[in-house]
Amino acid sequence: MSKRSYKQIDVFSHRPGDGNPLAVIMDGSGLPERTMRRFAAWTNLSETTFLLPPTEEGRAGGADYRVRIFTPSGELPFAGHPTLGTCHAWLQAGNQPHDPVTIVQESAQGLVRIRRQDETLAFAAPPMQRSTPNPALLALVSGALGLRPQQILAAQLLDNGPRWLSLLLDSANTVRGLLPDHARLKDLGQDVGVVHVAPTASDTRQPGVVVRAFAAPMGNPEDPVTGSLNASLAQWLIAEGLAPHQYLVAQGECLGRAGRVHITQDADGQVWVGGNSITCIEGEVLFP
Amino acid sequence: MHLRPFKQVDVFTAQAYLGNPLAVVLDGTGLSTEAMQAFTNWTNLSEATFVLPPTSEGRAAGADYRVRIFCPGRELLFAGHPTLGTCHAWLEAGGQPQAAGTVVQECGVGLVTLRQCGDRLAFAAPPLIKSGPLDEADVALIARGLGVARGDIVHHAWCDNGPNWRGVMLASAAHVLALQPDGAILAGLDVGVVGPRGKIGVIGRSDQEGIAFEVRAFFPGNNGLAEDPVTGSLNAALAQWLIGAGLAPAQYVASQGTCLGRAGRVFVEQDGDTIWVGGHSVTCMAGEVRL
Repeated sequence: MSKRSYKQIDVFSHRPGDGNPLAVIMDGSGLPERTMRRFAAWTNLSETTFLLPPTEEGRAGGADYRVRIFTPSGELPFAGHPTLGTCHAWLQAGNQPHDPVTIVQESAQGLVRIRRQDETLAFAAPPMQRSTPNPALLALVSGALGLRPQQILAAQLLDNGPRWLSLLLDSANTVRGLLPDHARLKDLGQDVGVVHVAPTASDTRQPGVVVRAFAAPMGNPEDPVTGSLNASLAQWLIAEGLAPHQYLVAQGECLGRAGRVHITQDADGQVWVGGNSITCIEGEVLFP
Repeated sequence: MHLRPFKQVDVFTAQAYLGNPLAVVLDGTGLSTEAMQAFTNWTNLSEATFVLPPTSEGRAAGADYRVRIFCPGRELLFAGHPTLGTCHAWLEAGGQPQAAGTVVQECGVGLVTLRQCGDRLAFAAPPLIKSGPLDEADVALIARGLGVARGDIVHHAWCDNGPNWRGVMLASAAHVLALQPDGAILAGLDVGVVGPRGKIGVIGRSDQEGIAFEVRAFFPGNNGLAEDPVTGSLNAALAQWLIGAGLAPAQYVASQGTCLGRAGRVFVEQDGDTIWVGGHSVTCMAGEVRL
């Protein structure tokens, strides 16, 4: 039996319970992978992470820490909300990054930069590939969401590791009113993101963009607040002129949350995906 | 908002991470119902509980502590795994019952007595609200939803003790483990499935591990059909049905959660008119929660 320090963090949140929870084991050294998988299934949170020292290669590349990210059903090479929550936990534990403003995280996908600005951390959106979705798949997904063709303003298949079939919809009410057939989406094996951008979205005092994420194939019918999807959506929407260079997203409303994702494209064209994190539970975990 | 003592307990298992987890806020004093519900939803566990001092009425009747039990979306008057896990956490935190070996819990249904049997705790199965055979139409629907032939359901009964369980028995544990239920057909139903683990056709005999039955619990989750890892209420009702009908011995062990990678163990024991439903609990996390 070993006792390890543990935190449960609310990510993309300004008030405990408003965001997406994340379990962080502060020292995952020496834990077998099957223990990590079993623990992540047991927490039943959308993600559980294990902090580790960087690999030699990672350290040479400037990594401050390494993380392994698990969902209840398996390991992910990278994910957004676990990146912000893990970095928050690592900093809160008193660790010092090589560069005080930019933290470098190593995960299975490689190195990711995280920018620190006051209380908010933002990760650099990883490279994303996008394509026009197959019309037959689009029709099946629209059917499972109960959408009429005229409610879909644009559609793209976005891939930054996770692959999201993403739909730009005609109104915030359309987004909020969706009652997807999750069993159907699971059968289709397709994760789906939906978004609406208000004409006033460049005013970031209030959220001007509303997002929902449906991931039944990953065992998570609706995700409260989703880093990877918001990263891909921003890269697509900004590139196509469908959203301003800076905007604030609301996600999770239909689940009783009030997640807030801060999107910024910098002068170099890099999209940053940011959010506030709050440590809600702190203690020790017992591992066999 | 302040820090409150918190534990996450694994129930119906002696081995950490093989049971059904429960979040326990050891001091829920002053929290609103809304705050309790919101925290429960956030944990994403099947239940979270909040320990409180007994009401004056409860204390007068012998209650050692009071608990409020929530699942995502609503408050429950009673539930089995939260009862065992909360009592375990309360004892571990230094709670002293008024009578040695017995703990009295005050909750939505009133007082519930727990007894300590070695390193296990057991609760007295609450009375069934509805029993007797299911409607034939329900049985046919459940068979379709479970993806089995009607003839594969060898016995059935209402197992309603608060949660509205419909119980069906299949010919063997292997049948139970192979199920791939259709959430669309079972929409809105709480369905408990049980099958004997021992020799097929010899109901109630234990296998080599001492386990008599394999159990699975399907219910409408937040987003479609969900499967509960290990279920106190269902096992309590199944025990009342099966022992009453002579389909199970007066003492047995049931296994649940196998298909979810768990190894839940539920210890059932009839003692006079009372059926005790028990199990081990392991505290996996201990710390503080900001609430």
